[in-house]
Amino acid sequence: MNAVILYFLLLKATATTFTGLASLPVVRDDLVVERKVLTDRQLAAAVAAGQTTPGPLGLYIVSVGYFVAGVPGACAGCLALLTPAFLILPLLKYLAGRAEGRRVRSAVQSLTLSAAGLIVAAAYPLAENALTGPLTAAIALASFLFLALTRRDTAWVIAGSALLGLVARIAG
Amino acid sequence: MVARYIGCMAQPSPGSLALLFGRIGNLTFGGGDPTMAALYQELVARRRWLTAEQYGLIWSLARVTPGTNLLAFCVGVGWRLAGLSGALAAVLALTLPSAAIVVWLTYACQALRANAWAMAAIAGVLAAAVGMMLTGAWQILRPHLKARTWPRAVVISGGALVLARLLALNPIAVLALGALAGAFWISPDETK
Repeated sequence: MNAVILYFLLLKATATTFTGLASLPVVRDDLVVERKVLTDRQLAAAVAAGQTTPGPLGLYIVSVGYFVAGVPGACAGCLALLTPAFLILPLLKYLAGRAEGRRVRSAVQSLTLSAAGLIVAAAYPLAENALTGPLTAAIALASFLFLALTRRDTAWVIAGSALLGLVARIAG
Repeated sequence: MVARYIGCMAQPSPGSLALLFGRIGNLTFGGGDPTMAALYQELVARRRWLTAEQYGLIWSLARVTPGTNLLAFCVGVGWRLAGLSGALAAVLALTLPSAAIVVWLTYACQALRANAWAMAAIAGVLAAAVGMMLTGAWQILRPHLKARTWPRAVVISGGALVLARLLALNPIAVLALGALAGAFWISPDETK
């Protein structure tokens, strides 16, 4: 896929959402469902790559770009990640001092809450694909509990789940 | 004390912004909140480049800017301290090293496709990625699960899940409906 088109598709996802993974359902809808240039497995690998790396959330989109169109795609993903951030400049210039209204804050907060529901919906097909048996289901559950209940690093989850995958191959 | 105060008022150069944001952004795991806490320490408490009020204003505007809040925050701080070149220096220093690592990991993942051992490990990581996504949703929801706010939070996020999963509504439409609902059903946090 052309990197310019990819940039605009990814920008559509980043510019309509307000936190890192919230753009994922839009990305999935466009690239996995509509255009079929990305698979659910690749999307999951992109999430894992993005979460393994320190730095801002939402970096998975760079990995998505690379899967779809190589290095130019990764650049398109990086640009799509950065572009909306510059929208803060007009806000700072014209709104600074005047606090934004509570209706706007409430709308933004509610949009982000609906993104939480959308992320769960987008995780369904991925779960069907990646959770092939009791072991992988246990890994997914353990990953969620570990990350949700402790403040520890995602790197532990990546290392542990990779190790369990290897152990399963030796055992099976 | 006076000398220290004057020294602290000096405007940072884009280069020193790049060093600070590059160091903190690329060495802090866990995304936005831990990173912004570390930046508060450096920008407000240690270096006094910003007052707590300036920091708070940029932080709250970053939350209503589309995209990753942390990146908008970097652009805002960089611009306030050193203009457009400051904004570019801060946001690029924070993003590019990590983005390069992500590309390398993705490349490694693709290159190892033929290796059965690597695929076994990747299968484990893909299962863990399901848990990571659910954690992403949980982290959005958790701060709203307080006595006064949980019913609204559960109805809105649960409603979005139903619209997307059962009615197969397009994600952008669901997000727009979510924003519309929030504009009229004001969060109890905002009515104080």
